[in-house]
Amino acid sequence: MPLPILLALGAVTAAAGALAAADLVPLTPARAVGAGAAQGALLATTVAWTRGEPRVCPVPAVGAAVVLAGAIGAALLPFGALAYLAAPVWLWRQRHRLPSLGFVHPPLGLSAAAGAVGALLGAHLLITASLTLGFGVHVPTVEHLAPWLAYDACANVLMTEAFFRGALLDRVQRRWPFAPTAAFVTVMCLARYLVDPLLPRSLEVTAGAIFYLTLLSLANCWMYWRSGSVVPGIAAGVAFFACYRLLHVVP
Amino acid sequence: MLIGVTAGLAAADVSPASPWRHLYIVPVAVAALRFGVAGGLIAALAAVLALGPFVLREIEGHGPTRAAAEGAVTLVMLVVAGAAVGGLAVRARRQRERYETLRAVQRTLAESAPLERTAARLVAVLAPRLRVDAAGLVLDDRRVVAGAAHVDPRSVAAHVLARREPVFVIDTGMTPRPRRAVAVPLTSGDETVGVLAVERFGDFSREERDALVGFGAAFGLALDHARLAARQRRFAEELEQQVSKATARLAEMDRLKSGFVALASHELRTPLTALQGFSELLATRPFAPAEVRRLAEIMRGEIERLGRIVSDFLDLARLERGLAPAIRRSVLDPAPLIAAAVDLFRRTRTTHRLELHVDGALPRLDADADALDRVLKNLIGNALKYSPPGSCVRVHARAGNGVMTVDVEDEGPGIPADERARVFEPYYRVRDTAALGPGTGLGLSVVKSLVEAHGGSVRADAAPGTGTRMTVMLPALP
Repeated sequence: MPLPILLALGAVTAAAGALAAADLVPLTPARAVGAGAAQGALLATTVAWTRGEPRVCPVPAVGAAVVLAGAIGAALLPFGALAYLAAPVWLWRQRHRLPSLGFVHPPLGLSAAAGAVGALLGAHLLITASLTLGFGVHVPTVEHLAPWLAYDACANVLMTEAFFRGALLDRVQRRWPFAPTAAFVTVMCLARYLVDPLLPRSLEVTAGAIFYLTLLSLANCWMYWRSGSVVPGIAAGVAFFACYRLLHVVP
Repeated sequence: MLIGVTAGLAAADVSPASPWRHLYIVPVAVAALRFGVAGGLIAALAAVLALGPFVLREIEGHGPTRAAAEGAVTLVMLVVAGAAVGGLAVRARRQRERYETLRAVQRTLAESAPLERTAARLVAVLAPRLRVDAAGLVLDDRRVVAGAAHVDPRSVAAHVLARREPVFVIDTGMTPRPRRAVAVPLTSGDETVGVLAVERFGDFSREERDALVGFGAAFGLALDHARLAARQRRFAEELEQQVSKATARLAEMDRLKSGFVALASHELRTPLTALQGFSELLATRPFAPAEVRRLAEIMRGEIERLGRIVSDFLDLARLERGLAPAIRRSVLDPAPLIAAAVDLFRRTRTTHRLELHVDGALPRLDADADALDRVLKNLIGNALKYSPPGSCVRVHARAGNGVMTVDVEDEGPGIPADERARVFEPYYRVRDTAALGPGTGLGLSVVKSLVEAHGGSVRADAAPGTGTRMTVMLPALP
């Protein structure tokens, strides 16, 4: 566990929150720093847990810095969404040095099925939320949707799958059978989303998040356990969150 | 079908309490029966996803009504039914698979093959049926190993063999994906007859592990039975061979005895005829004294021949009763006996050259003089009988290593190598030379029994060049 890095990232997040609360910095960059620090903490822990030979492995702090820089760049720079690509590009380049992370080619059919599962859950979310709970579905502009898609694909889903499946599930499944492992990882994954400040605070949304993220996490756990790859989980997550971003509940 | 039921529900009255909702149980049950717990749960979740919006809409629109409660109960029941039916289906399928696996194992064990090949076949049969990626089998106290090169002393199989307890390894630690391993002892009664080890990517449930332990016991028992059956088969085959050999030998003995009866009748009749003829001549005609002496000498020879034949019969009768020939031992010098026997044949059989070589002084023997005389006369007589006229018969006596050795060599056709041991059997006569002279087939068997009664030995070899060399070795007195 890279404790010094996690403490440093926690301090950065707290400082950003304090500065935003005191109106010393705008809310958007402060949130970007907070989100980047949280994602960076996940990646730093992932790298620390999954690296192979210590002499050639990537340094966890570098991973955290890349994610943090990407998040800040995305918030501040024009066409900043492109900055989110820094983390996946860095991870892709380091994949051979992180052998147990699960960046391997899965069966194509499984990835397609995973995308379909994510899309099905997302579509169900849209239907349920719009027909029963009264949330509207909007057709967003590319300028509005693209940054969210970039965030989900390159930060939110990528870091979640890398940490919860590639690192946490991989470690736990070597000690426990699959069912309790999947339950534990799913609970941890739910906790990560429920403490996320980006999640709207309402009973319906919280209940929906618990329901859909539980199904998504269990499906992703099963696919990782089956294939040893995080790619199907990423496909399912991206498809699900793409649908989720169509709801006007998203801030 | 889920889509059809949902469409029916939507078209009916959009109420979660609609009777249409009961139809969701059909795809859930079908999936559970076909794909087990996972299939049942996935189908139930799909049904929940389909029916859920109707329940939520009822709650949003009208609060917690009876219809909403019925819909919610349906959701719960679908999940419970999917899990329960799937669990039962899996259990039933596993029972059937277990039974079929045992049958397959028994079929494999019933095949008559070496244990190594049977073990390899068993591994090939077991791996797909147990749905494992690798299987290994150790049998016969680590002698037979299938599925691996050998039993590593640090391996799980070695541990199970030593402790006789099943072992579950949750991660073998050698692959990027965790690989589980289970090793169970194969037991028969209190004995551990082997180890079965299996590995796979994926879980072994407790039920599967318990089933493997039970399977190990059944497998061990079947294996033990198969080994016993194989042993019985081998025993029966050996017994059959022995019986077949004994039957053949009895048939041969019967044939030889029949031949012997004919031969013995002839052998006895010949001297009797001669005695009868000569005695009639002497009784009815006057002869000169010299002629009378000659006829009496012939009659004495025939009587001696009759005596030898009768002695052989008596010795043979003792041998067949499991008794050694009667001998009367005394301390004697063998040299005069050998010289007398050679001299006798030199005088009577002038058609052959008879040479005697004695190396140095011969040791004294504790032996029966008559028996030794019969042995020597039998061997020299045979050598003369089966070698061509004009050839040489050599008798060579010597001492050494606490024994006295006498070789009798002839220049006859010799004895084929595969028949040399058999010439000492009663009634046996060498096929190629039987026609060369009369004989009962008893002489050499009597020689052997007499020599062995003295603690000595006799053997037949090929003489240098051609012919036969009979060697008699008798223990010498110190």
